[in-house]
Amino acid sequence: MTTTLSSTSPADADHPTPFTGTPELGQPGQVDAHDVCAWFGGRLVLETVDLVMEKSKVTALIGPSGCGKSTFLRIINRMHEVVPGAQLAGSVKLDGVDIYGPGQRAMETRRHIGMVFQKPNPFPAMTIAENVLAGLKFSRVSPADKDDLIEESLTKGGLWNEVKDRLGELGGALSGGQQQRLCIARSLAVKPRVLLMDEPCSALDPTSTLRIEQTIKEIASEVTVVIVTHNMQQAQRVSDYCAFFLAEENQPGRVIEAGKTGTIFGSPTDQRTFDYVNGQFG
Amino acid sequence: MTIDLKPSPARADRDVPAPLTLTRDYSTPDRIYRAGVRISGGGVFLLLVVIGIFLAWSGYPAFQQAGWKFFTRSGFQTLGAHPTFGVLASIVGTVEVAFVAMIVGAPVAIATALFLSEYAPLKTRRSLIAMIDLAAAIPSIIFGLWAVFELQPNVVGFSTWLSHHLAFIPFFKVVSPPLNASIFIAGLVVGIMIVPIVASICREVFSLAPAGEREAALALGASRWQMIRTVVLPFGRGGMVGAVMLGLGRALEETIAVSIILGGSFTVTAHILQKGGSTISQLIAVNFGSGGTLGLHDLLLCGFVLFLLTLVINLAASAIVNRSRSGAGVDL
Ligand SMILES: Nc1ncnc2c1ncn2[C@@H]1O[C@H](COP(=O)(O)OP(=O)(O)O)[C@@H](O)[C@H]1O
Ligand SMILES: [Mg+2]
Repeated sequence: MTTTLSSTSPADADHPTPFTGTPELGQPGQVDAHDVCAWFGGRLVLETVDLVMEKSKVTALIGPSGCGKSTFLRIINRMHEVVPGAQLAGSVKLDGVDIYGPGQRAMETRRHIGMVFQKPNPFPAMTIAENVLAGLKFSRVSPADKDDLIEESLTKGGLWNEVKDRLGELGGALSGGQQQRLCIARSLAVKPRVLLMDEPCSALDPTSTLRIEQTIKEIASEVTVVIVTHNMQQAQRVSDYCAFFLAEENQPGRVIEAGKTGTIFGSPTDQRTFDYVNGQFG
Repeated sequence: MTIDLKPSPARADRDVPAPLTLTRDYSTPDRIYRAGVRISGGGVFLLLVVIGIFLAWSGYPAFQQAGWKFFTRSGFQTLGAHPTFGVLASIVGTVEVAFVAMIVGAPVAIATALFLSEYAPLKTRRSLIAMIDLAAAIPSIIFGLWAVFELQPNVVGFSTWLSHHLAFIPFFKVVSPPLNASIFIAGLVVGIMIVPIVASICREVFSLAPAGEREAALALGASRWQMIRTVVLPFGRGGMVGAVMLGLGRALEETIAVSIILGGSFTVTAHILQKGGSTISQLIAVNFGSGGTLGLHDLLLCGFVLFLLTLVINLAASAIVNRSRSGAGVDL
């Protein structure tokens, strides 16, 4: 089942499409972060992070809390700048184009790089179907076949079977795990190139967690996934690559080690990584 | 040791037990608290009823004198052998002033609140909020004086322009100039007066819109305005209606500023741009103590009418307040 997106807005013609050189929506993208630093209210919390998030792969960001994983994730889709007093430095490239370059608009970037938050945040007074379509409405794109897109997105989110008979019910009426899967479906409906997930399962029951892990594996072929997780087993189960963040006492967060998930967990080169993945601290 | 697990028999041969009646057992502090809350809550309600009864009771002699004509006549002529008085022009004037005030004040207040909560730079935001709160405390007599000496001379030109270009709307038609001391100008002052308090409440409500839902909208590629329309406004709808109704209450009862502007002629008119008109509270304030015993009864009866008017509007408002959550009724 394919869904073609047709743009109804003439606005697209007015300004140049920022990400040239990419064929279509729905193609996985590669993210190159270089020299990324972040401040909150003048305090440096993240220092010179270099990280490549490979196309079509799942990259897990692990590390103790407070080491800047969420901050880094939010820098990738320009959500960091929403926080008052937040600053950043460095560059983040999506398929070679710096999303912080001149003329790049945050709104546009966020359409290509979706995000799922730690706390499920569907629009509670919109129906399930409306929630799925919300992102498209924001970009004034109307899908060729709405019902198809709703089914496709909810199926990818692993929620379709549970809600197919009650698409008109409110998003706020679902359970926490279902809400989170609705949020995933909502993010996927706009066909992002990258999906960022910030501890998406930390508030969920084991069954919902498994469903979401399944979803991540299934969607990896069409969207690059970057996931923050505190669950070591989860990182091993779902990710291809892994980056270990650490903020030592009174220090900003840094990437200590990054590489293939098997290597990070099996034979890390840094002692601190070894200690963390083996549950010695954090 | 074995545990013998018997499967429970099928539903059919078991009776469904009746629902339990749960008794609440409150602790002493809890009881005292509940009693206190009930007394003060009930007290406010009682006060409302007592005021209503008092007004109706003391206004009744005037109603005996005038009968239902009280509601179809206008004027305050209570002395002499053939008194004629009535509240019609004042009711119409009150509603017109309040209407103009809301048309002018509510959108400005809501826009101000949105600016303060969503757009104002963080550094200036605090001082702007303090200024708005301060403006809410300016006495209405100050507004009245300012309106007479500053606003009115400048607005008459605008009134003239309206009467020339929008005369096809009955409200803006002028049959007899001049255009000062009009319902329109009185409504304008009241509209300006209510902006700070309505804006202040709306800002408070908007700032409570859930951060998670705001971020959800932004992360989906919403513009700031789309985020506001999807999350902030639907969430704040109930509070917004409440704030506007509070402003409307003030607009209905505003006395001093209106009395200073309006000359107090008892003509029922839809032509709000031209001189003349009266409101209930203005009628009471201007004529208090000047109409003898009957005059006093008349004014108290007018007070009762204003009381009912406010009550009805507030009840209507509370019926409107519902479904205030993100995404409610949004059609992007
Ligand atoms: N909104 C904020 N304002 C100020 N400081 C913040 C804010 N968000 C995060 N921080 C600080 O930034 C650092 C990194 O936080 P975060 O990225 O949330 O860590 P993680 O997701 O790894 O737990 C922490 O020291 C935290 O206190
Ligand atoms: Mg975090």
